Amino acid sequence: MSESLAVGRAQTRPAGRAGDAVATLDTRRKLQLALGVIWVLDGILQFQPSMFTRSFPDMLAESAHGNPGVVAGPITWSAGLIDHHVVVLNAIFATIQLALGLGIAWRRTLRFALTASIAWSLAVWGLGEGFGGILAGTASLVNGAPGPVILYAILAVLLWPAGRDPCAPSVASRATGHRPAQAVWLVLWGSLAAFALLPASRAPGAISDMLAEGADGAPAWLAWIDTHAASALNHHGLAASIVLAVLLALVAVAVYLPVPALRAAIVLAVVLAAALWLAQGMGELFTGMATDPESGPLLALLALAFWPAVPTPAVPTPAVPTPAMRMPAVPVMEA
Amino acid sequence: MGGPAWLTAIFAAASLAVAIYCAGRLVVARRAHRPTELDTDGAHVIMGVAMAGMLVSSLRTLPSAIWEVIFAAAAVWFGWRMLQRRRGAQPSPWRSSHPLPHLVECAAMVFMFLILPASAAAGAATNGMSMTMTATESTFSFLTLPLALYLFGYVVWLGDRVSRSAPALAIATAPASAGPGLGYGSGSPSPESARPYLAPHCAAICKITMGYMLILML
Repeated sequence: MSESLAVGRAQTRPAGRAGDAVATLDTRRKLQLALGVIWVLDGILQFQPSMFTRSFPDMLAESAHGNPGVVAGPITWSAGLIDHHVVVLNAIFATIQLALGLGIAWRRTLRFALTASIAWSLAVWGLGEGFGGILAGTASLVNGAPGPVILYAILAVLLWPAGRDPCAPSVASRATGHRPAQAVWLVLWGSLAAFALLPASRAPGAISDMLAEGADGAPAWLAWIDTHAASALNHHGLAASIVLAVLLALVAVAVYLPVPALRAAIVLAVVLAAALWLAQGMGELFTGMATDPESGPLLALLALAFWPAVPTPAVPTPAVPTPAMRMPAVPVMEA
Repeated sequence: MGGPAWLTAIFAAASLAVAIYCAGRLVVARRAHRPTELDTDGAHVIMGVAMAGMLVSSLRTLPSAIWEVIFAAAAVWFGWRMLQRRRGAQPSPWRSSHPLPHLVECAAMVFMFLILPASAAAGAATNGMSMTMTATESTFSFLTLPLALYLFGYVVWLGDRVSRSAPALAIATAPASAGPGLGYGSGSPSPESARPYLAPHCAAICKITMGYMLILML
């Protein structure tokens, strides 16, 4: 396909027409597109053959276990409904998620797609994930607590294309303002630290058992990592939980520290997210039953949204447009 | 592949549509002497046909071994084009100016055809589809996810580029008498003038279909 021809020549158009304002992708747009990629992946995962069988509603129904009646009731109801119309409803779910990803990619539908993704995420968080097991006491970092899907909603808010605070120190602060973004970071990573200390994580064999489960159905190289991690942490669940909780708490409070410390904390957050993703068996993507890549990639994306922006010097606006302004040198973007 | 028959049929139909569209572009380019990326369109014609055959057994045309050779050769071509670009070779309107995505696509096709033989028979026997394959047991299983993510990433990037370029594309297809445009077409409602609208969308369909096939291999 000559799509490079189709989109490539358009870059040479004169300035002043719609769409010229952004010649290159800024950091927020890159993060939005990364979120779009994950939604597309989710949509295609939802098209997997096993999702068209009873395995899917059964998996949803499992999240009702241990939850209070007011939470478990709607989950059971929705799982039953899906069970009766699994092919049609799953096709709709998959299409919605695919459309969310493509909608984020398409600039004109970005706001609508982000809004829809928030609504969708909240619905799935409640009806599909049982609020990540928070109320059931089964929330564990290795299981993706507080539920990966809620991270989509948080990211949609933080990456909202509004410039409420144009001088914000990070991408995440631009839409909501600096203090609310800081609060979101503190609550999120603080809650992760708390989840690391819950019985579901701190019991002697809790983490190692979950790691061993993650090895099931995984390719050999991933199973090797999970199996060895499980054996290394066997009977050291409490110590591992405490270390993890301390690291996560450090990340949580770092948002109030000076920029160098924050940068170090964000690097640590990305490393922890990668480690969690491996511990989660990479979202069990290789089992044919994954509906999303779990929380690891989303946590890393969220952390990058808080990377301190490099302050750019103010450029004085010339009174008379220069030839360079009328015909900007737009770099040809490599695929 | 292992999906529901109606779903794989939809993806197969989409692949064939892309192949027919690209074949049409090649014909138009030859008859009207209008530039098109011959290598890219050619690759997408064979890719569409090959993917349709992988998805629906009744659409199979050639043995896997032949497809492997074809796509390996195509990958070598696009790799060579990439090297040429890095060396500063003059771009040609008849050849791909962004060979990397096509190189990855051809590599993904080779990868899938290499995984295919072990499970093709089982798939054809069980559900009538061309294959039920998984790369999990393969030595190169770690390639499946990055390949799929690259394709999805390219689709999303393309969506961003197209939505940013849409006004210019509208100008490009306006009648030539309206003033200086981008040099696309003469304003006649020929297939060529519609190219900028359809090409990225067809590319996206092709890549999503290929990504779907890779995800089925996970």
